[in-house]
This record gives sequence, structure tokens and C-alpha cells, in this order.
Amino acid sequence: MTEALVGLGLMLVLALLRVPIALAMGVMGFVGVAYLRDWNFAPAMAMVETKIYETGRNYTLSVVPLFILMGNLVTRAGMSQELFRAAYTFVGHLRGGLAMATVVACAGFGAICGSSIATAATMAKVAYPAMKGLGYSDRLSTGAIAGGGTLGILIPPSTLMVIYGVLTETNIGKLFAAGILPGIVATFLLCLAVQWTVLVDPASGPRGERSSWGERWRALKGVWAVLALFVVVMGGIYGGVFTATEGAGMGAFGALMFALARGTLSWRTLFDGLIESARTSAMLFAILTGALMFAEFVNYTTMPGDLKNLVTSLDLSPIMVVAAICAIYVILGTAMEELSMILLTVPIFFPLVVHLGFDPIWFGILIVVVVEIGLISPPVGMNLFVMNALLPHVPTRVLFRGVLPFMVADIVRLAILIAFPTISLWLPSLMR
Amino acid sequence: MAANPQDAGAWLDRVLGAAAALLLLVLMLLTAADVVSRYIFNWPLRGAFEITELLLLTLIFAGLPLASRAGEHVTLDFIDRALTPGGRRLLRRLIDLLCGAIILGLAWRVWVKADKIAAYGDTTEVLRLPVSPFVYAMALMVAITGLVHLAKVIFPGQDERAEPVFDPDKIGPT
Repeated sequence: MTEALVGLGLMLVLALLRVPIALAMGVMGFVGVAYLRDWNFAPAMAMVETKIYETGRNYTLSVVPLFILMGNLVTRAGMSQELFRAAYTFVGHLRGGLAMATVVACAGFGAICGSSIATAATMAKVAYPAMKGLGYSDRLSTGAIAGGGTLGILIPPSTLMVIYGVLTETNIGKLFAAGILPGIVATFLLCLAVQWTVLVDPASGPRGERSSWGERWRALKGVWAVLALFVVVMGGIYGGVFTATEGAGMGAFGALMFALARGTLSWRTLFDGLIESARTSAMLFAILTGALMFAEFVNYTTMPGDLKNLVTSLDLSPIMVVAAICAIYVILGTAMEELSMILLTVPIFFPLVVHLGFDPIWFGILIVVVVEIGLISPPVGMNLFVMNALLPHVPTRVLFRGVLPFMVADIVRLAILIAFPTISLWLPSLMR
Repeated sequence: MAANPQDAGAWLDRVLGAAAALLLLVLMLLTAADVVSRYIFNWPLRGAFEITELLLLTLIFAGLPLASRAGEHVTLDFIDRALTPGGRRLLRRLIDLLCGAIILGLAWRVWVKADKIAAYGDTTEVLRLPVSPFVYAMALMVAITGLVHLAKVIFPGQDERAEPVFDPDKIGPT
């Protein structure tokens, strides 16, 4: 146990000195493995060579650049306007209707994009001007966009689920399937948060115009392509027609066709999208390699066993342990960048959770939800940074207050998902 | 290498960027073509699996120097708030020096691995493509990444803003 804790501490010191997390983990993994072999560096060096080579040459991992590319392409194709319009025709006439339309449109965009930040950024450009035009308060509109945006990583596809799947060797297709029902619960709860806000302050979200069924039908036809892309990619993965990797390739290709058909893609933007996806993927691979090296060290120590014994000796109920882990994440998530938080802690918590008899898929969904909460929790939340960058005239104080009801909704959802694992596990259980 | 280091960096961005973009485009088309050809024409592409692996490997390692150039690696930035701008600059340079040294060490180990693979004469299963040239390319890219960090020690470039500038059009992993 001691050596793992020392290793963890030293790694954190390196990371706090701004050494990239990938290197901090890799270096400590290397030093740790050497230490465990009485400072014999040969096995440690062999470990480093193997990990770099195996992460690089791994067919399954081609899912990472392909899903990132898909997200980059759909963002550039600009479907957000149609999604927002379609959602508006259904709920726009209700109090707070535009904010709910934003949440629903975010859910729709999340179904073809695996990134929360991209979902929030894309939606902000469409939904904020519309809400502003109708006299919505900045508190409600920015809160709805930031909160709704987090649905991007919960509703499949999801880059975070891919990372979790690779780190823990959990089936990515099943993780995707597991995200669907919690995504629907989340959309519903976020709409409730909108209702709460307008109940307290009715002036913050006035009603829009009611749309006729004809208008609704026409608006729905505008989003058929989003639906088609989702059904082909997720349906294909879910139905076992193709693997997650193949689904990612089909999704990226579909998104490309789609962007070309809409005429929103120039060679320049395609080229930029490709390069950006390659860079982001390289960054993720570096981190994965580092995390795998560090996990190699931790797994050779007595720490995983000691943690299990500790939990057994404390006689805690397993569900309390999971709740405690989630609470730690929610607290850490307020101050820490979420991806680093997950990468640093999953190698330690994951074996414990599996040992307690829980389903890795369920824990994966909980991880996604705590990251979502972290993304909108002040002071360090990426979606709040997105809002701040896109809408610099909205004071930070307003942003922080506006997002509160949505944070509460997210914490309620976390509790629901912990209490009822079936919501997450039912759909994947039907897969072959 | 061009005489001016800034030009050399821009040149690296262009060349590797074009290579990475092309590789990713081919990777996507190959994956889609494989699925379509298998299910619609009942005719799987021979060796698509192997080509995917090798494309991915080249793509990722070509992207690595680009990610380092753009300063995109995930870091914890708590310490920035505790330092003066001068202190921040000094720390960045020291850390880039350390990173460069470590990454060059990694490049050496990958090169050794490539030597081993070349000595076995490893090839892929179906298409019998030799693997070692790809691993040598990996080592080369890792070495370039190390040099990118070392270059940042001398020419810190643009990523020394006091506050990190957030680009909302970027697709982050979360």
C-alpha cells in the first residue's frame, strides 16, 4: 500500500508542477515498476516499450479518432438550428418553453456528437439569440445551454465512454446502450429544473407561440438526417450489425456525406476538422498510454487488495461505498478538470467497485454523470467556460447562479441512477 | 530544417497536419467501405483490419508533435494562480526541458523496440506487410515531439498567456 500511495503522491506533485498528466503517470509507472523489481530497470523499460507499441497498434482504438471526427463534422455541418426549431414547435408555447426546447435540442445533438463542450457551444449560437429575443433572463438561458450541453457525453456516442471503456476493458457498445435511458431521465429532469426556475421567477422565461401540427411535422422533417445518423450508428452497434469501431467509421462517413449535402463544408473546414481530430486523438492516446503504465505499477502493488480489505473491515455496505466515491467525484469536480480527475482515479476505484460485485457498465454511467456535474459546477466547469467565451457580456455571477437548478437536477439524477441500476443496465442486458 | 525556428515549426505543422488529415480520411473511408462491402456485397476487404491498425498507429504518432506544438496536452493548472507571470514562464521552460528529455528517452526505447521487430522480421498476418518501418516512424515522431518541447524552452511561442484562452469551437474529449 505505502509504495502505491507514495507513487500516487509523487505523480500528483509532478502533475501539479504542470507536467502533462500523460507523462506524469507514465514516469511514475516506470519508476514504480523499477522500484518493485529492486531498481532493476530492464523490466520497466520493456513495459514502456510494450505499452507504447500496443496502444498505438490496437484496432479497437481506431474508434477514438473516428468518433471525434464524427463530432467535429456534425458540429461543422450545423444541424443545431433545425434541432432547436423542431423542439421549439413542440414545447415553445409553454412557460420556459424555449429553455426546454434548448435542453431537448441538446439531447438530440448529443445523439450524434460525443462531446458536451461541442454540444453546448453549438447550441449556444442558436438558442441564446432566440431566448434573448423573447426576453428570457440570462440566468435561465445560459443555465439551460450549459446544463443541456452536458447531455452530449451521456447520450451515445460519447468520447468519455470510449475512454472509460478502453481504460477498464469494458464493452463500448454496451456502455453506449446504457447511456440512452439515463439520457432520457436527464432530459426530463433538466426540463423540470427549467420549470422550477420559471416557477420562482415567471418573468425569466415567457411563453412563445404555439405551433400547429403542420408546422411540427415540417420541423420534424428538417431533422430526419440527425435521426437517420443516430439510428444507423447506434442501431447498428446495438443490433450487433457492426462493432463500435465500425459504427464510428460509418458515423464519421455519414456525417461527412451529410455536411457535404448541406453545402456547409468547405475543403478548408474539412481539413481543419481532420487535423483537429488527429491532434485530439493523439493527446488522448498519450494519456491512455500513461494511465496504462501507471495502472501496471498500481496493480503490482498491494494497494488494490489493501483497499478491498479496508472496505471489508469497515463493514460498509457496498452501495454506500459507491455513493461515497460519487460524492468524492462531485466535490473534486468543482475544482478539477474532469478528464484528468477520471484518468487519475479510475485505475484506483475501478477494481474496488468490481470487487464489490457491481457492474462495470453501471459504474461507467455513474462516472459520466459525475463528469457532467463537474462540467457545470463552479468555479471550474468547462461548459461554464464555453458560455463565458461565447457570451462574454454575461457576468460570471449570473452564469454561476443560473446553472444551480440544473446542478441540483443532475445530483438528483445521480441519486436515481445509483438507486436504480436497472435504468442503466436494462438496454445493454438485451444485447447479444 | 529551415533557418528560422518559427518557420520550421510552421512547416512541421503543415506537413504533419496534411499527413494526419489524409491518414484519418483514409481510415474513415476504409472502415466505412469495409462495412458496406461486407454487408451489402458480402465481400469483406482483405486485410482491412491490418491496414486500419497501421493507419491508426501512423495517424496517432503523426498527431503527437502537433498536439505538443499546440500545447494541447492535459495539465493541471492550479499552480498558475500562485505564480507571477515571470515565475510561470520559468516553470514552463523547466517543465518543457524535462518533458523533452523524457520524451527523447521514450523515442530511444521505441527505436530499440523497432530494432527488435526488424530483427524478427515481423510482418502482418494477411498482407505480409513489414511492421518495423512503422515502428521506426513511431520512434521518429516521438523524437520530433521531444524536440518540439525542447524548442519551446528556447522559443516559448504563443502559449504563455496569463489566462488560458478557451476556444469554444474545439471539440474537447469531454
